[in-house]
Amino acid sequence: EFNSRNIRVSNGINADHPVGNGIKAMQECLDQKSGGKLKLTAFWGGALGGDLQATQALRSGVQEAVVTSSSPLVGIIPALGVFDLPFLFSTPAEAYKVLDGKFGDQMNQKLDASGLVNLAYWENGFRNLSNSQHPVTKWEDFSGLKVRVMQNNIFLDTFQNLGANATPMAFGEVYSALETKAIDAQENPYVTIDTSKFFEVQKYVTETNHAYTPFLFLFSKAIFNTYTPEEQTALRECAVVGRDVERQVIADLNKKSLEKIKEAGLQVNQLSPEEQARIREKSMIVYEKHKAQIGPDVVDGILAELKTIRGN
Amino acid sequence: MQKVIELFYRVLEALLILLLAGMALMVFGNVVLRYGFNSGLNVSEEMSRYFFVWLTFIGAVVAFREHSHLGVESLVAMFGRKGRVICMVLSNIVIILCSAIFFWGTWVQLPINSSMVAPVTGLSMAWVYGVGFFTGGGCVLIALERLIRLLTGRVTEDEIAAFTGENLTIEQMAERT
Amino acid sequence: MTLFVFVGSLLGAMAIGVPVAFSLMFCGVVLMWYMDMFNSQIIAQNMIAGADTFTLLAIPFFILAGELMNSGGLSKRIIEFAIACVGHIRGGLGIVAIVAALIMASISGSAAADTAALAAILIPMMAKAGYNIPRSGGLIAAGGIIAPVIPPSMAFIVFGVAANVSITQLFMAGIFPGILMGLSLVVTWLIVVRKDNVQALPKTSYRERLRATGRAAWALGMPVIILGGIKAGVVTPTEAAVIAAAYAMFVGMVIYRELKPSDLPRVILQAAKTTSVIMFLVCAALVSAWLITAANIPAEIAGYIEPLIDRPTLLMFVIMILVLVVGTALDLTPTILILTPVLMPIIKQAGIDPVYFGVLFIINNSIGLITPPVGVVLNVVSGVGRIPLGKVTAGVWPFLLAQTIVLFLLVLFPDLVIVPARWLH
Ligand code: NA
Ligand code: NA
Repeated sequence: EFNSRNIRVSNGINADHPVGNGIKAMQECLDQKSGGKLKLTAFWGGALGGDLQATQALRSGVQEAVVTSSSPLVGIIPALGVFDLPFLFSTPAEAYKVLDGKFGDQMNQKLDASGLVNLAYWENGFRNLSNSQHPVTKWEDFSGLKVRVMQNNIFLDTFQNLGANATPMAFGEVYSALETKAIDAQENPYVTIDTSKFFEVQKYVTETNHAYTPFLFLFSKAIFNTYTPEEQTALRECAVVGRDVERQVIADLNKKSLEKIKEAGLQVNQLSPEEQARIREKSMIVYEKHKAQIGPDVVDGILAELKTIRGN
Repeated sequence: MQKVIELFYRVLEALLILLLAGMALMVFGNVVLRYGFNSGLNVSEEMSRYFFVWLTFIGAVVAFREHSHLGVESLVAMFGRKGRVICMVLSNIVIILCSAIFFWGTWVQLPINSSMVAPVTGLSMAWVYGVGFFTGGGCVLIALERLIRLLTGRVTEDEIAAFTGENLTIEQMAERT
Repeated sequence: MTLFVFVGSLLGAMAIGVPVAFSLMFCGVVLMWYMDMFNSQIIAQNMIAGADTFTLLAIPFFILAGELMNSGGLSKRIIEFAIACVGHIRGGLGIVAIVAALIMASISGSAAADTAALAAILIPMMAKAGYNIPRSGGLIAAGGIIAPVIPPSMAFIVFGVAANVSITQLFMAGIFPGILMGLSLVVTWLIVVRKDNVQALPKTSYRERLRATGRAAWALGMPVIILGGIKAGVVTPTEAAVIAAAYAMFVGMVIYRELKPSDLPRVILQAAKTTSVIMFLVCAALVSAWLITAANIPAEIAGYIEPLIDRPTLLMFVIMILVLVVGTALDLTPTILILTPVLMPIIKQAGIDPVYFGVLFIINNSIGLITPPVGVVLNVVSGVGRIPLGKVTAGVWPFLLAQTIVLFLLVLFPDLVIVPARWLH
């Protein structure tokens, strides 16, 4: 029931990212279940091509698996744009409930229709804002800030709507642009602000939690269908084991990175719940603008589900 | 017939000029917009990349026709005429094989690229990745025509010289550094 | 074993005259077949995805800038400027060649284009002044190969993309070693011309020197724009490249008035063709790189060189010898593309700084441009200067030796690269 399989898992990020811990845990689980027959070989830092290219290779049945964030895939599955919407989730617990529940399954069906099997939702985490100008405590404080954002229409609109000067820029250029004050601000998870040393050239950090990026553990449907049911089940179950480890490591690392950022002398503040609600309200215009492209049922569906969760 | 082919390559060359000039204008325009007016066109970033893809793969066919793709000719240059012709035959067979696989791969992958659009312009990726039809097909045709002439003994001395890397122009040498 | 299939199919195809790009595709096909995973989509997808990279757009723009620099009279002004400044000293025209080569290297990224411009103007002058012609040609060839080491550099862009290393950092790290290469040429040149009986140029007046500087000022502004812009983080290498092209066009057309609008199509077409040749090669290399990675070939090689992993200096020494040998027969871009995916994982495993490695790797590959039997820059000097290839090859060896010594000094003292790079970045 278990055959010897070499599963190549492509990653755009480097091996020291918590995904590395997740893959290790997933392998241990697979070893147990398959007697060492299912082997994951991870490739890091885009060694097998970028996330989008790797995803296309999955759809062609050329490669087995990829761990990718949802954003690059909106050209294939527009509905995934829903995860780029600003201020969607307010806590990790909320995100987990939605992704691991009914809504996550609905998205998995859309992925399946495009030849991709999503084994589980791993995570990249919440993104926060850092800048060199002034503390950001309310909507009005975004005004005029030159913020580097990813090349992504929803992100651009989000920051433009906030009144900031959104500038798309390659990641590799961000540090020196912040250093020379060509830009004032950038937005990334705490771990990235720490590991890319952005704290050296920034003064203020605001826990905006303005976007939550999930990672998808995608498998090629063409290849998955040739596996035995036992192999398929083992992969699905162990991907969940890996997911839980990865999320835990991220949570721990976030705390450590935040401590380090504070030690470096940066002023860190959180948005008050009232202000968060106000900004979310004001950001609904971005939801409206991109609703047609993402799919009205998808946007309304997730908002309804979030309402139920928050209502309880 | 020869005239039509010649005209076809002139059109391709004009296209190459337009593509490179277009790329330069788009990227330069974005620099000006960004530093002069604090804005930018996302369309430019995306379209300039696609222009680059077309430029590369259309130009590759033109370069192949002109024997401009760089090779290592030291060994074949040591052979006499007969040895060189045999190498040319084998070489063209290898090129036909690779280009045909390139063409075929583009065909097999067409549905996957058709079902994906560019994030900003919404252009179907089939238009971008589909250039493999042109390059794969173009190189197969050129190499096939050469192969037929080689096998029927109608190859010219100029072609043999070009194959062995003789009489390179400065421009062709510049491509090698 | 997979390693031998890779090397065997690649060398076999190249040996029978298949262009390098198609040879790389062919070895990709053979690897797929050998690993029992033949799929035509691997070829198609990796080929095109290779060109769909914004960073690589710097290549056509720097090529265009270089073409415009030569057609617009910028190269000529730079050489005139160098003559006015150092032409009168003993062995002066040789020093002129080195100074001009360094300045042009900071504008253009192509060794052959720079060499052609230098050889066309300086070889006739050096012949007239009584210099040994093959030796002068050798010096110009050795000066020309500094172009890929000092930014802007096509070689660094290709390496940076293939190895996933910051191009900005590579650019900054290349400056000082490039100047060292120039200095080594000055020393060698002064030694070899010691006994020659040559005419020095008449010393130019202060006023005339000022005028030459004024004429060249616009051209000399180009490195400031390129390096300053990248250094300040204001522009990315791609943007710097397009600004450089626009600037060269403006200076050539409006200031020097040597470039006519009717010249533009020809210049752009030439840049486009050069771009396609290089990019098609890059794309084909990405196919084989994908298969090399998927087949875990670097791990296989790491097994062979296991004992060297703990000795970075010795490992660098061995790799540099290997690259020198490969460089005797293979051109710059193919060497970078073929060796990078194989060597990079080993470099990382040995804990060697990838930027430091990149600089030495590119210097080594540039030296390959003047090592026989296949040294394309020697061919350029031979063609432009009308000197038989054998004589240029004989004339180049003292300079080749000097630059090789510089390379191995950098192997022994990595701080010569790392410290100035840190200071400049
Ligand atoms: Na240069
Ligand atoms: Na050589």
